[in-house]
Parts: sequence; structure tokens; C-alpha cells
Amino acid sequence: MSIAVVGVNHRTAPLEVRERFAHAPREVPASLERVLSAGAGGGVLLSTCNRTEFYLAEPSDSTAETVWAILGERLGAGRSASEYGYFQRDREAVRHLYRVSAGLDSMILGESQIQGQVREAWEASRPQAGPVLHRLFQSALLVGARVRTETALGTGAASAPSAAVALAGKIFSRLAGRSALVLGAGDMAELAAGCLVSEGVRVTIVANRSYERARAIAEQLGARALTLDEVWEHFANADIVLSSTAAPHAVVTWERVAPAIGRRGGRPLCILDLAVPRDVEPAVGQLENVFLYDIDDLQAVAAHAAAERHQEVPAAERIVRDEVERFWAWYGGLAVVPVLKEFRGRLDDVRAAELERALKRLAHLSPEDRAQVEQFSHALLNKFLHHPTIALKQAAQAGRGYGLLESLKKLFGLERPDGS
Amino acid sequence: MVLVPHLLALGLYGLATALALAPFAGLRPAPRALTLGAPLSGATAHVVGVAQLTPVGVAPVLSILALFLMLLQVMSERVFRASAVALFTGPLATGLVGLALLIGLGPGAEPSGGGNAWFILHVTLSVLGLALLALAFITAALYLLQFRELKSKRFGQVFRLFPPLERLDRLNHVALVAGFPTLTLGVLLALGYAVRYAGGMHVDPAQIVWGSFTWAVLGSAVWMRVVRHWAGRRAAFASIAGFVAVVLVYLALKLAEPGTQRFL
Repeated sequence: MSIAVVGVNHRTAPLEVRERFAHAPREVPASLERVLSAGAGGGVLLSTCNRTEFYLAEPSDSTAETVWAILGERLGAGRSASEYGYFQRDREAVRHLYRVSAGLDSMILGESQIQGQVREAWEASRPQAGPVLHRLFQSALLVGARVRTETALGTGAASAPSAAVALAGKIFSRLAGRSALVLGAGDMAELAAGCLVSEGVRVTIVANRSYERARAIAEQLGARALTLDEVWEHFANADIVLSSTAAPHAVVTWERVAPAIGRRGGRPLCILDLAVPRDVEPAVGQLENVFLYDIDDLQAVAAHAAAERHQEVPAAERIVRDEVERFWAWYGGLAVVPVLKEFRGRLDDVRAAELERALKRLAHLSPEDRAQVEQFSHALLNKFLHHPTIALKQAAQAGRGYGLLESLKKLFGLERPDGS
Repeated sequence: MVLVPHLLALGLYGLATALALAPFAGLRPAPRALTLGAPLSGATAHVVGVAQLTPVGVAPVLSILALFLMLLQVMSERVFRASAVALFTGPLATGLVGLALLIGLGPGAEPSGGGNAWFILHVTLSVLGLALLALAFITAALYLLQFRELKSKRFGQVFRLFPPLERLDRLNHVALVAGFPTLTLGVLLALGYAVRYAGGMHVDPAQIVWGSFTWAVLGSAVWMRVVRHWAGRRAAFASIAGFVAVVLVYLALKLAEPGTQRFL
């Protein structure tokens, strides 16, 4: 019995490789089926933008090769996938999943999105997971929850988009229902707008130099499209302005927006300038009740939160370590029963064969004496097995059973020819 | 039996203050059950102590004010999730109970006229109105600190631990709007008490001056917020100015006629 993880993540593979390895939900069953047919008792595929990992129960020696072959096909041109990845077994594999679920292995330390992704991967792979991985993923989610509850690893906004949300959240009681105005129609504007929308903010207007591009984004967000020249008067109504145009100079100037801001009646306005070079003139931030933040400010908020999260890593690692041992104790106990049964059976076969041979040579014995000899053989076997059985059960309870079991299997040739 | 509950309350308020200050000292915030449990337990003990007091004199009034401040702290955290209010209410309530104990919480003189229920209700409502004015001051101060943090882009402890500006502004509004009718009722009860029970009783002009001044200050603050729609920084400055003026006028009147037997 063993557990393994084969895969790549953001530390081992560049984005262009990870993009190719990423599996859409509909592709998961076929890939898992191929891996399982190569020899594994169960499998779960975790595929996000930062990682593609196959978690395997009882993998055979060739299973990892099959995983690399599947991923290699996605790279094309005969390129090898294994050079981008890793293969971990047993405790290390369990530890890896627990760290992933806790956000310790994430690009943004402590981010919580990964926990949902682990859950989705487990649910998508449920028919092929098997009991061991079922238990492993269930416990991984509990570990993630424990780390987030008992440490401050998930607190603060540790990325620029989440820092934007955090800043707006320090001005307004609730972001849900607030109206946002988006200037620019590039990828950054779209990404940041998506973050605000996920908090319940309504994007009401998307303005861009090119009306057509603004209309395309506005349609996606259920907003109205305008050109930049038409947008300034709408500063009187919006709660949040998100600016990310590609203009080489400031487009939001004091002269353009001060009259509209003057009509707000003192309501706060949060302006998030994500553009480089900046879109918003610093003087706009001097207006009463206007809170202006540029990309440096967002990164400062994110860096501050990230530094605080790093202080929580030792506490989170301690939880992971404890939980790995707990899982391993369960797993070791699970493996003990069938191996002990087989061990006893194997030795009993030897005892029975030797007894039969001895009794043939002792044909003169009376039936009572033959019974005595047979009883002696049973007693001797039980005496021999008593200590190893107790030691193995105790080791399993203490989480050290797996190594002993492996030794026992090798010493007494308990492994079946198929390798299981 | 007055001392023991007050000492218990003092200890628990001290603990609540320490819990409120802990995150600012870089320690992990205490669980919410504890940050709510400590002041609530203190307030429970405090109620037992206050119930045995005659609300005459400086010490009993300070004790009642501390009790209301602590109850308003719990309400602010429970309803508005504004735990930072405890930064002010915690030390203030602890200090007021300590001061009341120092002055002495012996059995007070009976109010003349025998109208105890009217008198107790008058004091209770007036002090509650004052506590709400203090809460408006506290939320205004928190608002200005958070405003400065956000404008100057410091993103330190204040940014992380203080509530959003809009929530502080809302709490300031609620405190003022609830405080004005409460104080008005307290003042009306004083008038009714004087007319019905204390006929011929000498009412110190200082009491009339300070009571009227406080009522006028609270009324003006409510008028600015509700009728003139003041909000944000302007309303915060008005709340702070009003509260400071009320406290200064009280101290000036008290200096003119010192003594702890009467509140004024």
C-alpha cells in the first residue's frame, strides 16, 4: 500500500507549460481512467491555473510514467513533462496535499480559493478516488479549515486585486450593491472589475477610448458603454472608480472630475488607479472625501498582508505535521490487518506442512500423542507470532506501522506477484 | 456589598480593555466570545453594584456612566462589529469605576421629596444620554483616525483594525439620534420631579446651566445630522467639539463649587 502525488506547480513549471497541463473538468475522467488502468487503486486529479497534480492510491511502478506521458502529450513536439514536475510518496505526498489545502503551497501564501479547488477536484474524481484518497481529501479539507481557524494565515489582502477590494471595504460598510465605473477595457481592468463583481459590486459603466471595446466588456458585465469624453459627469454617482487605460498620460484630471465630485454631497468616492503610467492626476486625491489609490498603494497593502502571513507559517506547518501523523496512524492501522492475516496464514501453512511431514515419520504415535504434537505446533507458532503481532499493532497505533509492514512483507515474501 | 461587585466589574473591565488593546500591540486578537464575554460579565456584576446605590453625588453617577459605556461597547461590537470602540470605552469605563471607588461609594443621601422612582429614572436617562454623546464622540474620533490613515495611505494597525468609515459614521448618527430623545426625557423627568415632589427645593443654577447646555449641544448635533444632512468628517468634528464643550463646562462649574456630595 502507498500514496503518491505526481504533478507540476507554479514553482516547477512556467505559466506556458502549466497552461498546457491544465485540465478542464470534462477532461478529468479520461485522464484518470488512463492512469488507473496503468495500475493504481484510486486517483484524484487537482488541476488549477497554478498546479496539475495526480494523487494516487497504491500506484504501480509504471503509474508515474503514465502520468508524465499524459502530460507530455499536452506539451507536444516530443517534449518531456517530467522535467517540470515532482513525484512524492507516502508521508511526503500526504504532507504535500495538506500544505496545498492550507494555502502553504500557493503562489499567494494563505489564499483560500485553493480549498474550494481541492474540494471540487475531490468531488469530480469521486468515482475513481477509492476509500484511501476519499479519506485523504476529506482530511485535507479539515486541515485547511483548521489552519485558517487557528492561525492568521488567511487574513489580510495579499494580492493586488484583493487589496483593491480591501481598500474599498475600509471606506464602505458593505460592498454589495455599490456602483462601480470602469475606465479602460484591457485585461487588468477586466480582472479587477471581476474581483469587485464577486463582492457584489455592480459595474454600471465601462468607458474606453474605443467605444467598441468598451461595449464588449460592458456587455459581459451588464453595464453601459461610454467613450471617455462622456464619462466625467458620472463621477457624481459612482461609489468606486476603477481605472486601467493604456493612456500615456493622466486622463482623470482635477478639471474634468472636480465639478461632478462637488455634486456628491460629501459621499465618499474610492478611486483605484491600476494603470502604469497612472491614469489619475494626484490632485484628484486631494478632493474632499475622495480616496485615491494607485498600483503602488495596492502592492503596499498586499505586501504588508503577505509579511504578516509569513509569520504564521511555522504555526500552520505544525498543524500540517500533526495531521500527517494522524492520517498516517489511520493508514498504517488500515494496512496492518490484511498483512497480519496473510503473515499468519503463510506461517500456518508452513506449520501444517512441517507437521504433516513429521507425523509421517512418527507413525508409531498414538492418536492422543499425535494430537499433543499438533497442539504443540500451534502453541509454538502462537508464541512466535505473539510479540511481532503486538509490536506491529502498537506501531500502527503510533503511526509507525507502515515501515514495519513493508519490512515484514519483504522479509516474508508477502507481496503478491502483481505487486499489490 | 456595593464594593465587591464594583471591584469585580473593575477587574473585568480592565481585562476587556487589555483584550481590546492586544491586537494593537501585535498580539493575536482574542476570540469574539471573550471580547464580548469579559465586558458583559463585568457589566452584570456592575448592575448588581449599581442597583444598591442611591444615584446622588459624583461617585454613583460616574459608576452608572461607566456601566452604560460598557453596555454601549458591547452593543457596538455585537450590532456594528465596531470592536475598536472598546479602545476608548474600555479605559474610560475602567477609569470611571476606579475613580468612583476612590471617591467612595457609600450609601448616598436620599433625594428630597421622596420621589425616588422619578429621580432614579431622571438620573438613569440623563446619564444614558450622556453616554450616547460620549459614544458619538468616540466614533467620531475613530472616524477621523481612520480617515487620516486612508488619506495618508499608511495601511497600519488603524487601517486593519478599525471599522470602515461608513460604519463609524452610521454608529455616530445612531448614537446622536438615540441620545437626544433620551436626554430630553431625562430633563423632562427632572422638571416633573421638581414640580411634583421637590417643591421649594433649592436647585443649583449650575445644574440648570449644564443640563440645558448639554441638551442644546446634543440637539444641535442631531439637527446638523438629520436636518442639514451633515455626514463624514464635518459631522465627526461637530460631535467632538460638542462633547469636549460639555465636559469643559462641567469641569468649570465643578471647579467653581467643588465637592463630591452632589453631581453639580
